[in-house]
Order: sequence, then structure tokens, then C-alpha cells
Amino acid sequence: MKFGTSHRALLAGIVSATLLSGCATKKESPPPASASVGDKTSDGKSVKSKEDDLEEYGVLLIADPLEPLNRATFTLNHGIYVYLFTPISKGYKTVFPKVVRTGIHNAYENVKFPIRFVNDTLQGNFERAGLETGKFMVNSVVGVGGLGRPSDHIPALADIPSGNTGQTFAKWGIPHGAYLVLPVLGPSSVRDTVGLAGDYALNPVSWVTILFGGYAWTMAIPSVNTLRSLPVQMDIYEAATKDAIDPYVAARSAYVQFREEDAAK
Amino acid sequence: MNRLLPALFLGLLFQGALHASTQVAEERLRTAVDEVLAVAKASSNPGSLAEKLHPILPKYISFEAMTRRAVGPGWRQFSPNQKKEATKLFTTLIIRNYSSKFTPGLNPEIVFNKATAPAQGRVEVPTTILSQGSRYVVTYRMEDSEGWKITDVVIEGVSLVANYRTQFDAEFKKGGAEAVVDSLIQAVAQKS
Repeated sequence: MKFGTSHRALLAGIVSATLLSGCATKKESPPPASASVGDKTSDGKSVKSKEDDLEEYGVLLIADPLEPLNRATFTLNHGIYVYLFTPISKGYKTVFPKVVRTGIHNAYENVKFPIRFVNDTLQGNFERAGLETGKFMVNSVVGVGGLGRPSDHIPALADIPSGNTGQTFAKWGIPHGAYLVLPVLGPSSVRDTVGLAGDYALNPVSWVTILFGGYAWTMAIPSVNTLRSLPVQMDIYEAATKDAIDPYVAARSAYVQFREEDAAK
Repeated sequence: MNRLLPALFLGLLFQGALHASTQVAEERLRTAVDEVLAVAKASSNPGSLAEKLHPILPKYISFEAMTRRAVGPGWRQFSPNQKKEATKLFTTLIIRNYSSKFTPGLNPEIVFNKATAPAQGRVEVPTTILSQGSRYVVTYRMEDSEGWKITDVVIEGVSLVANYRTQFDAEFKKGGAEAVVDSLIQAVAQKS
């Protein structure tokens, strides 16, 4: 704290000194830098009135012609989340030690490599597709089938934004279409629902299901797969809807922001 | 030539100032996070944590700016009393929500990523929070007016202020300032 204030004082000193020298050398057209620095020193008082920032944030809109139906599904989902998913997710956290959970999570993310690779390619992002391939190789070989994630220690591979089909559609300029709350799965749009089908088709876990058609597989894989991503998803859902004015609107606007952020990656 | 030199000098200084502002803001955020974590460690439940954070957080968070931006242009039609009431209620709501994120006895790991200055007097500090094997990206938007303060928290791309802006807008269209304040009273009254 002390550091902050003294630093600020020093900064203000430098700023006023530069302003003075700027004025002394040339009066009629000060360099652009000093102009904005000048704004800063008197920030919030004389230059800007306190209510000039009311349009700082816009209202986030998405067409919602199905609102009554969506609200009903939302209420249903909310019950499922609170009374079913949250306890299950907590149980999952209790039953499996963290190391095992992390291993399961890593293995699933690793095997979903085709979703990311195909979509990066479809978006023309060949560099990212190449990095994904490198990451997949490293984690499958060094990380023993993806249970470990040694790629985290390689800077270029540590933080690759992951591609998905909904994102590809967004990049291609396909509009969202109507907002749609899917049973159990939650907020989506027509575009992303089609995208979800694309992701499903590209997910090797679903290939196993399709190829072997075994009931044991179809039951076991999606449930573990769903479980391991539950804690994070439940936390984000809770953060957006808890203490909300209208949880339905809160979840909807969170969804729009979330997808915009994802599409910008 | 005579004119060029001071301009160059100024340019360099300006660069330096930009760099310093991200540093000052980040330092401020670190102080805030450290203080909050210390308080969280010492309290046993979210309710008592919220109570303890109430006097601390306004030092670091500009609840006034958050409230009026979350309401938007409709704020001009609020009476001084309604403004005060709305700010008070919104502050309570945010602090309660924030306090509920802490699990007693757990110490989340927070990594500060490279801060940027999108505009003069504004800094964004992205952080990564690691807790119980989950990973969240939380960006703090900070502004310099009478010291650096947090004006928005963006969790996984979802801005807190933008999220309430959309909700308040619906209420305002229904019944103006009164409806917004009423909706806040209801949200605060709801057992969390």
C-alpha cells in the first residue's frame, strides 16, 4: 500500500513536470501523449463528470422467442443441478482423490483432440492445429495415454485455446439464431446446438459408442465424462445465477458473453 | 530538431508511465487479495466472512461505479435516495456472493498473469485461480480515480457488471428506478 501511494506521488510529479516542459517548448499543439496524461491527473473531477460512464456496458441480447418454454426448461434444469448434480459432483470429489480426478480429466481432454484439430483446421488456423497435434503426441506418449499432461511444461503447448464446432460457426459468421435452453445440458443457441452435434461426431468417445454399441460402454463413458467436468461447470453456473436479480436472464447473458469470449479466441 | 527532442523524451516518459500504471494497479490488487485471503483463513463460515469483508472491500472495489454502470443510463432517473439505496443493496449482494466462494480451510492458488493497459487510467489484470484441481480464469478490471480500484470482475469471460446490466435493464423497463430497487431488496432478502 505504501509502495502504491508513494509511487503514485512520484508519477504525478513526473507527469506535471513533463506537462510544464511540454508547455514551455510548444504551446499551440502539444503532443498527443501529454494531452491524455493531462486528463489523467484531473481524472474523475473536472474532466469527467461521475455519470459519464453510464453507457460503459451495453445490454446483452440474444433472440429469445421461445422464452416461456426456455424458462420452464431452465427451472427444471435448476432443480436437476441443485438436487442431483451438485451432490453427485461433491460425491465425485470425495470418492476420488484429486490425483485420480486430474488423471481422468486429462485423459478425456486428450482423447477429444480431433474436435480441436478439425475445428482449428476448418477455421484456417493451421498453426494452432499443428500445436494441438504436438500436444496430443506429447501427452499420449510421455503422459502415458494422456493421464498426465507434460505439455503444461512446454510454454508453446501450455495454453492453446481449444477449438469447437460452435466456435467455427461463429468464425464463419453464422448468427446465433434463437436462444435455446436444452434439457439437462442448459443454455445454448440453435447455432451451438448444431455445433454440439458436430463436437459429438468428432469425439472419439462417441465413436466407441457407435462402433461397439455396447450398453456398458455407452453408460460408463459419458457418465464419467460428465462427472469430471461437473465441478467447474457447476461453479460457473452458480457464480452467474446465485444472488441474481433474475437467474434466467443472468444465465442467458452469461451464456452470450461466454460464447463471445470463446469465439474471439 | 529543437522540437523533436522534447517530443521524443515525452514519448519515452509516456511509455514509462503506462508500464508503471500496470505495475501500480497489480500491486494494489495483490495487496487486496492478500488481505482478503488472510481474513478468509481466519473466519469459519461465509456469513461471518461477508461481515468481516464489508469494511475492507470498499478500499479496493469501487462499488459506486459498479452500481451505476450496472444500472446504465436509467441511473439519471434515480433520486439521490434511490441511488444511495441501490448502491448499498448492490454492495451487500456482491460481497455476499464473493464471500460464498471461499471454502473454509482451503487456500486457493492465485497466479497473476501479465497485466495490460487498454486505455489511459485503466488496467486489466488476468489471474488464474487453481482450487481443488479446477482452474478458473478471472480478470480484474481496474481504474485509477483517487487510487486504483477494481471496477469489474470477469469470470471465464463473464463480466459481473455486464451480467447485472442486462438484468437491471429488464427491471427498469418494467417499472423504472423503483422496480430496480425493489428487485435488489428481494435479491438481498433471499436466503443464499
